[in-house]
Amino acid sequence: MTAALELDGLKKSFGKTEIIRGVDLAIASGERHAIIGPNGAGKSTLFNLITGRFPQTEGAIRLHGLDLAGKAPFEINRMGLSRSFQITNIFPKMTVFENVRCSLLWSMGYRYNFWSMVGRSRALTEGADEILEQINLTARRDLPAGVLSYAEQRALEIGITIAGGADVIMLDEPTAGMSHSETDYIVELIRIVTEGKTLIMVEHDMGVVFGLADQISVLVYGEIIATGAPEEVRANARVQEAYLGAALEDH
Amino acid sequence: MTDQLTTDPAKPAQRMRAGSMTIPLIPWVVAAILLCLMPYIFTANSAITIMNQMAITIIFALAYNMLLGQGGMLSFGHAVYAGVGGFACMHIMNMGDFFSGLPLPFLPIFGGLMGMGLATIVASFSTRNAGVVFAMISLGVGELIAACSVIIVVFFGGEEGISGDRTYGLPFFGVEFLQQVEVYYLIAFWLLLSAALMYLYSRTPLGRMANAVRDNPERAEFLGYSARWVRFYSFVASGFFAGVAGALFAINYEILTEENLNTTQSGAILLVTFLGGVGFFFGPILGAIVFTLVQTVLSLQTELWGFYLGIIFVATVMFFPGGLAGLIMMHVPALRMGKLGRLTVPYLKTLLPAAIGMMGAAALVEMTFHVRHAATGDHEMTLFWTTFDSHSLTPWLVAIAVTAAGFAITRATAPAMLDAWNDANSADGNVK
Repeated sequence: MTAALELDGLKKSFGKTEIIRGVDLAIASGERHAIIGPNGAGKSTLFNLITGRFPQTEGAIRLHGLDLAGKAPFEINRMGLSRSFQITNIFPKMTVFENVRCSLLWSMGYRYNFWSMVGRSRALTEGADEILEQINLTARRDLPAGVLSYAEQRALEIGITIAGGADVIMLDEPTAGMSHSETDYIVELIRIVTEGKTLIMVEHDMGVVFGLADQISVLVYGEIIATGAPEEVRANARVQEAYLGAALEDH
Repeated sequence: MTDQLTTDPAKPAQRMRAGSMTIPLIPWVVAAILLCLMPYIFTANSAITIMNQMAITIIFALAYNMLLGQGGMLSFGHAVYAGVGGFACMHIMNMGDFFSGLPLPFLPIFGGLMGMGLATIVASFSTRNAGVVFAMISLGVGELIAACSVIIVVFFGGEEGISGDRTYGLPFFGVEFLQQVEVYYLIAFWLLLSAALMYLYSRTPLGRMANAVRDNPERAEFLGYSARWVRFYSFVASGFFAGVAGALFAINYEILTEENLNTTQSGAILLVTFLGGVGFFFGPILGAIVFTLVQTVLSLQTELWGFYLGIIFVATVMFFPGGLAGLIMMHVPALRMGKLGRLTVPYLKTLLPAAIGMMGAAALVEMTFHVRHAATGDHEMTLFWTTFDSHSLTPWLVAIAVTAAGFAITRATAPAMLDAWNDANSADGNVK
């Protein structure tokens, strides 16, 4: 079986600085995979490479066995990969409902349609309402997304990310900047909405990672130094030395 | 925090609002009836001319707002699409055989297609970005085509432009469009049709994504939409309706010149649209009405109308970025709470002196202009229905006093108006 996402000797340099220094990784379909690492390890860069935000210098990225080289973000999205952002990235002036509806349009086959009324489509309305129900934002349905609380905006962003029906979901620090209770809430939400999908997430919060992920990869200075189940990674001496030791002491 | 996130499932009302996107018909019916009745209310020929001009500007401004308001693209050369559409129609009017078989009401379709064709070409290389690059390309293309008007004389007719005669078309149910009022109804029909189509466009998947791309192009790309293609389609659609406006101009005035596509015209439509408000569909309509009135009515009163228009525009950009439509919609929350009435008296207290102060200031401007530019020996001028000697001291003292008093009262009452505004916009029971 081909992996849902496969990275093969992936490298990225900005000028002379090599940020990603040869990453090999295979993520099986249906797996919940977390990428952790200290600040500046290149986690977000790796994310941006995979989602086509900028091109890699060397190596290959394959989604369900298909090479993503040279594909624009919208093309990658159409191939079944959807992502969220570290900094909340929604449509702040639109209503919560419209945010979700916009993310359904392409997958529902509307493409660049300019002859049907979005308000007339029951499938669209019901689909969007269903997502709102899942992310518990039904009560905020008709508010502009920009006025929601931070945690609600993060929940909305996750809703937008999953709405298109992509089977590979990538979340970039979904709990960044949240309080403990908010974090617990979002983790539970992620668990529910990514049921049966491949989840790849970058995360800082150890509690989130160990509670949610099946597999963890540790990225340090642009290289993966360990991949495995949470207990294995926790027990790995190199990981403890590089990152976890310091992080676990804090917690 | 957590209580905010929970949803009350026992609120079926929330589910029912799914239909809130249905198209409200009442404003459209009212607009249609009003358009039909206008020539009976304002019967003068000059009034009909103004209304025709207004309707054409409305279509053009709405088309422009498909770019600026809906798509977030600032174009400095949009007059080109209207102008080229108009020129194309002028040439069709001059094609005797073809035009004599074409009823005049169908002519705007050709103008639209011409505008759309040109927009397709320009959009194909200019919509990669919406920011400065797009604005600069639009300016460049605008200048380029305006310059072509003296180079490609066959199409643009050089400095005299192209003129024609609309009455050579195939009579439409016996109507030959000799009368100004017949042209009015033709334009009114196209106004209603174009406005409705543009409104419906904003409700389609592509129209919604135009908003999404405007607000956050990157997010839209990660939802499967190419921001560039979304902008491209908005541009093409906008080009079509701009072309329709140009065609109606050709029908109404029977002449097109370089003035119809130069950057002054492009700047004017930006001004109209911004004045009306880019955030709401009806904003450009308001802008076009106000602009046309200022342009036609005020220009009869004073040579300095452009100066006042500039001040209005700057004031709008600085103080009411939402334009006239934004100004009106600001009052909706207070209206919903039933507290709009509380604003009437404070508004009168502040805005009436402000208006008087502005009239005083305008008088000073006019008097200065008269002293500097009137023919030597001509000391008599008429302002606000009063005739006086602009070189004597009294009118100056009066104008200065009125201006100072007006603005002083405005300043003194402004805080009270702000308090009233805050009061009208806060729910009762919220003690500040």
